[in-house]
Amino acid sequence: MIEFRGVNKWFGALHVLKDITLNVEPREVVVVCGPSGSGKSTLIRCVNGLESTKDGDLVVDGHRVGDPATDMTELRAEVGFVFQSFNLYPHKTALENVTLAPIHVRKIARSAAEAAGREMLARVGLADKFNAYPSELSGGQQQRVAIARCLCMRPKIMLFDEPTSALDPEMISEVLDVMVSVAEEGMTMMVVTHEMGFARKVAQRVVFMDAGAIVESGTPEEFFSNPKTDRSRAFLSKILRH
Amino acid sequence: MIWQQFQSLIGSYPLALRGLGMTVALSLISLVVGTLVGFALGILRTGGNQLISRAIGVWVDLIRGTPFLVQIFLIFFILPELGIELDAFTAGIIALSNLAACFICEIVAAGIRAVPTGQVEAALASGLARWQRMRQVVLPQAMRMSLPPLVGQYVLLIKDSSVVSAIGLTDLTRVGWLVVQRVPNGLLVFAIVGIGYFVVCYPLILLARRLESRMGAAHGEVQL
Repeated sequence: MIEFRGVNKWFGALHVLKDITLNVEPREVVVVCGPSGSGKSTLIRCVNGLESTKDGDLVVDGHRVGDPATDMTELRAEVGFVFQSFNLYPHKTALENVTLAPIHVRKIARSAAEAAGREMLARVGLADKFNAYPSELSGGQQQRVAIARCLCMRPKIMLFDEPTSALDPEMISEVLDVMVSVAEEGMTMMVVTHEMGFARKVAQRVVFMDAGAIVESGTPEEFFSNPKTDRSRAFLSKILRH
Repeated sequence: MIWQQFQSLIGSYPLALRGLGMTVALSLISLVVGTLVGFALGILRTGGNQLISRAIGVWVDLIRGTPFLVQIFLIFFILPELGIELDAFTAGIIALSNLAACFICEIVAAGIRAVPTGQVEAALASGLARWQRMRQVVLPQAMRMSLPPLVGQYVLLIKDSSVVSAIGLTDLTRVGWLVVQRVPNGLLVFAIVGIGYFVVCYPLILLARRLESRMGAAHGEVQL
């Protein structure tokens, strides 16, 4: 579903992605973790073309990313992206946020899009917030609207870029619960997160990155109980200490 | 004596109304044209094409960096040399619209640049095409920031329209010059001219103030 083959990327002189090879199967949930600056956000931002790659191949749902012949708008409609900072449209209500792309990209009739939008917002626990503006919602509520906004497009793939890092601790679980339910429905997911409980619960694979390279990759069981490299051991000891 | 002058002034009210009409017509047409062109330029200025963006930047700097009087003279006296005959009204409209477009271009471009990149990325990630991103996500938020300075700029442009009297258009300012030749009281005459401009501009000043206070509102598009 998502296939990296020898992908490299530089920011100026900085080599941010080093020879990445990674294959995400349909319905697979892959958690990407690693210290800050390790390139994990850059990695998933490449998948829907928010970042460009330098060389190597990146094939997503049969489309070659970065190929001038690829219609990126078409690909992006199939790939949901959840941002750390939510990025809801502040001038639109929750319902308008979730129906914008279905109406304008999928060309779904407004009434049908709104019905689907209400259903989706209810599913993420926001049945009473259809007409609320983002500024009237808590961080956890905003992130749930953002997830609903992606789901309304009926995507084939969902990408999450540190979806709970900007949240107050008491709001993290309400967002993770929604993500777990999405995973359990068989969505193909790449999730950049340090929520190891989430990784244990739903991920088939954990990918550990450091300094732009994939250092280790394995099942959550293997990775947490028996990390193979010094760097992953050092990382785990830091985030699991408390 | 003052009384006589007053009576004579009242006698010239048809001329004054004509001048006021000319000022309003010039301003209205130029502001509408200037706003449309200014928005288009502002969007192009922030678009992906470096060449177009830089060309617009140079033109805007050129217009903003030269006196409006000089621009009017160039259009009115030089274009006919090149075989383009213009009446004074058309020349005035072109000069004023161009000036308005350049200032409005910068206001709109600044508003567009102030929209957080995360907003564009969210629109991009959801598959919206370029114009849809602009129309649905970027412009409504840019407008929120641009509207108060935009209305403030309208006031400045209406006042700048007085410069067109230099090429013989009978606007409010030129009416002042004509009347003062008959009624030798410059203070009185130009005080009345000033009041004429103020009557046109003051509603806009109030509107700008109202919009600015609305900027404090937490969300939503600015609604007039």
